[in-house]
Formats: sequence, C-alpha cells, structure tokens
Amino acid sequence: MASEKGYTTVSIPVTLHRRIRKIIEGTGFTSVSSFVTYVLREVVAAYEEEKAKEPFTEEEKKAIIEKLKSLGYL
Amino acid sequence: MARRLMVVGLDCAAPRLLYEELLDELPTFQELLSQGKAYMRSSHPPITIPAWAVMTTGKTPGELGLYGFRHRKPGSYTDFYIANSKLVREPRIWDELGRRGLRSIVVGVPPSYPPRPLRGAMISDFITPGPEASYTFPPALKAELERRFGPYIFDVPFRIEDRDRIVRGLWEMTEQHFRVLEYLASTRKWDFLMFVEIGVDRVHHAFWGYMDPQHHKYTPGNKYENVIRDYYRLVDEKLSSLLKAVPRDTVVMVVSDHGAKAMKGAFAVNQWLAEQGYLALGPVDKPGTDLKQAPIDWGRTTAWGWGGYYARIFINLKGREPRGTVDPRDYEDVRDTLARELTSIRGPHGERWDTKVYKPEQLYPQVRGDPPDLMVYFDDLSWRSAGTVGWPTPYLRENDRGPDDAVHDWLGVLSVYDPQGSYSVDGIVDITEVRGIMEEVMGLRG
Repeated sequence: MASEKGYTTVSIPVTLHRRIRKIIEGTGFTSVSSFVTYVLREVVAAYEEEKAKEPFTEEEKKAIIEKLKSLGYL
Repeated sequence: MARRLMVVGLDCAAPRLLYEELLDELPTFQELLSQGKAYMRSSHPPITIPAWAVMTTGKTPGELGLYGFRHRKPGSYTDFYIANSKLVREPRIWDELGRRGLRSIVVGVPPSYPPRPLRGAMISDFITPGPEASYTFPPALKAELERRFGPYIFDVPFRIEDRDRIVRGLWEMTEQHFRVLEYLASTRKWDFLMFVEIGVDRVHHAFWGYMDPQHHKYTPGNKYENVIRDYYRLVDEKLSSLLKAVPRDTVVMVVSDHGAKAMKGAFAVNQWLAEQGYLALGPVDKPGTDLKQAPIDWGRTTAWGWGGYYARIFINLKGREPRGTVDPRDYEDVRDTLARELTSIRGPHGERWDTKVYKPEQLYPQVRGDPPDLMVYFDDLSWRSAGTVGWPTPYLRENDRGPDDAVHDWLGVLSVYDPQGSYSVDGIVDITEVRGIMEEVMGLRG
C-alpha cells in the first residue's frame, strides 16, 4: 500500500537484506532501502531508455547490413 | 514440479549431416538422438530470425510480422529496418515460464537483442552490434562474464575470401560459447536452458561446396573438405562437457531452425523483372549494383524484388507506394499473373524448376507487420535470390555477394532425450508445434 509520502514496501529475502547491509557498511548509504532504490533507479532508467530508442544506431545498422550481405541474407 | 529442459539449438543443422553422414563420429549426439530422430519442418520463410521466433512463441511469421532479417519501411522503395527482439510482441517460452515462477537461461536465441528482462539470465543473439553493447540480462551479467571469458563473441568474421580466418573464428567463438554455457549452467538455478550456436549455420554457408560432391564447385581432396565434419565433432565434444555440468535428470532437446543443402546459384530477380517489363530499369554499367543505386523509373514500375535465401516481391500499388502504378482493383490480377510467370521460370539450361510462389495470406492465419506481396522460393530454395542488377544474365552461378555454398532447406532436426525415457519425438513436426513440445516435456501441459 502506498503511503502519503509516496513510498511503498517491497519484500526482499532476509538473506539478501543482510548481504546488502554488509556491502553498504561505511558507504554513503544510510539504509538498505536507500541503496536498493538507488540501484533499481539505475536499472529501470536503462530499460526505459532502451525502450524509447531504436535498437540500432545508424553506424550499427550499417555494420549489420554489411554482415548480412556477406552472409547472403540480403 | 516441472522437469528441467535444456534446448540445444543448432542453427541450420541439417538432418543429412547430423542424422546420417556424420553421426557415427558424434558420440554425444548418438546418445542424445537415441530415443528418436524427428524432422522439424521450418517456417515460411525458412530463415533464422523468423524461425527461432516461431519456435519460441508457437506463432507463425505472419502473426509475428517477421519475414526475415529486414523489413520494408512502409512508403519506401529501398529503405528497411532490421529485425530485433522488440518486434516480437508475443510472449516467448521463457516469459511464460517466468510467470509460473520458473527460471531460464537463454543464450543467443534469435532475435534477442536488445535483451529484455526475464526471470533468469540472457545473452543476446548474433545480431547484437558487438561486445560494447548492453547484451545481457541482468545488465551486470555482462561484466561478470567478461571478467572470466573476455568480450563475448557474437559471430564469426565472415569474409569468404579468407576461409582460414573463418575456421579460426568458428573454433574460437564456439569454444567460448560453451565455456560461458558451462559457467551459467553451473552457477545459476534454472529450469529451462536454451542456447543457439550460430557457428553451425556459418560453417555450412562457408564450406558446404568443399564437402558435398553434389555441389558444382566441389573438388575431391580439397583443403577444406573436412571442416564441416570437424566442426560438428567440436560441437559434440563441447556438448559432452556441458552435459556434465547439467543435472542428470535434465531432458535434452536438439533442434535446428531449418536445414541446408547445396546452392545451385543465385537468380537476379530484379533483372528478370526488368526483362519482363515489370521493373523500369535504365542502363546499369556495373554488375552487382544495388537497386538503391540503380536508375529506376518508379512511375513506370509494376513490381520489384529483394534478394536473400528467398525472394520478396513488392507490387507498386497506388495509394500505398510513393509513385504507385497498380490500381488496387488490378492488384490481385497483377499478383496472380506475376506468380504464374515466376513459377514457370526455367533454369539456365532450360531445365524445369520447382519454384514455389505464395501470397502471405495463403500461409498465415494473420498477416501483420510489413510483408511482401509475394514470397518466392526459386527451385524450391536451391537457387537463392539476388536483388542486385547489371549482370549479363539473371543466372549467377557464383553468388552476387556473400557465400555461394549452401542454401536453406525445409527440414531441420528435432530430438528429445529423456533420461527417464518417458518422452520422445519422431516423424515430421511443424516448427509451430515445437514450443508446445517444450512445455509438454517440462510437464506444463495436460
């Protein structure tokens, strides 16, 4: 259930929680939640970006076309 | 509880080689094929990208809107877009398994670039632009693999003028692929592992003519005569080692997306269309000129074609094409007449060809995406289609570009090895049924 502040709860395995707590010791992350939010934002943004753009740049497209030509597909 | 399944995808593996000519030398495959050797009837068209997409979704190319490696951009005569994972809008088997809480490892299954989230791990296919791209799910898997195995090798450098390099590249790539597979199979929890080795396709396309006495350029005792055999032996050996890293009760399916046979030549389809008056082509000096560079009067053109292992024919339809000439009322007549004429094309010596011509709607329950108006298999695929022009004759004994050794064939391989002996396949199985077999083997159906 989302709270008024705009936060909600996600369950993760206790062991994973413990492992995260260990790796953030002495870092700027003050809680497992802040670390998980940070990491997930990165991952999600990467996929959103992927989703929005064409999968191949013009240069990549040229290279793939050359390859497909040499393989007889075009 | 689902049975664990490993799918060994051998792109282009031909029954003639795997089941007959080479099997005596392949002890691992002998065991894996011991419970039955079925023939897998490929998709229309029998081309890598649509075929694997069909196999993993259970849908036809028409329903998927996938007709090859590239598709025409609507409203353009020569521009196209390249097939990629985003174009597959139907759930693939690993999506369904994920929904049931099962984990998958998917490596190199076309089309899988860009990689999409799944419950498990994925390395994208050979259409990945290169190791600098983001090619894994989860994204961090890439660094984990590269630390151990170096940059991932997606394909072999394919320059037909340097066959030694292709051989080196094939061995290096395949050895790395199997090291990665062993690593993933033994460090991840999984219920379903599917990989496609593209090297089998490449070795056929580059070396078939050196191996097959039926091929027009074959000479006995040539330097590359045993490359294909040696490559299958390499795969057999690597597979044996991979099987040791896999739990013993795993069911193993061996499957290819299409077969292969000797290429007889390439037929320059646009040159033929020009000769028949369908394509208004001006003088071309240079043999092998792309249609994009050729002088074409589109305002007087009725149809044009694309090259590849099959020919795609497009009608210059009014209202659909920028300079359309064919009235929609005449569209069916033009297609029918052209289909008849294409079917009656004879070979370079006047010999009868077994050419098949289809309208997409004859083949599929639904036709999505950007299909051609006609699909043509010259001499039942033995002659591939060349899209280029400027040749002295439409019959090209050597290819217009690319390899001239093997073309695709309709029947691929399919077998299921069940260590508990409760499942096997034989006969001829349509490619659209393969996904169902995978689910059945895992105990997820009925």
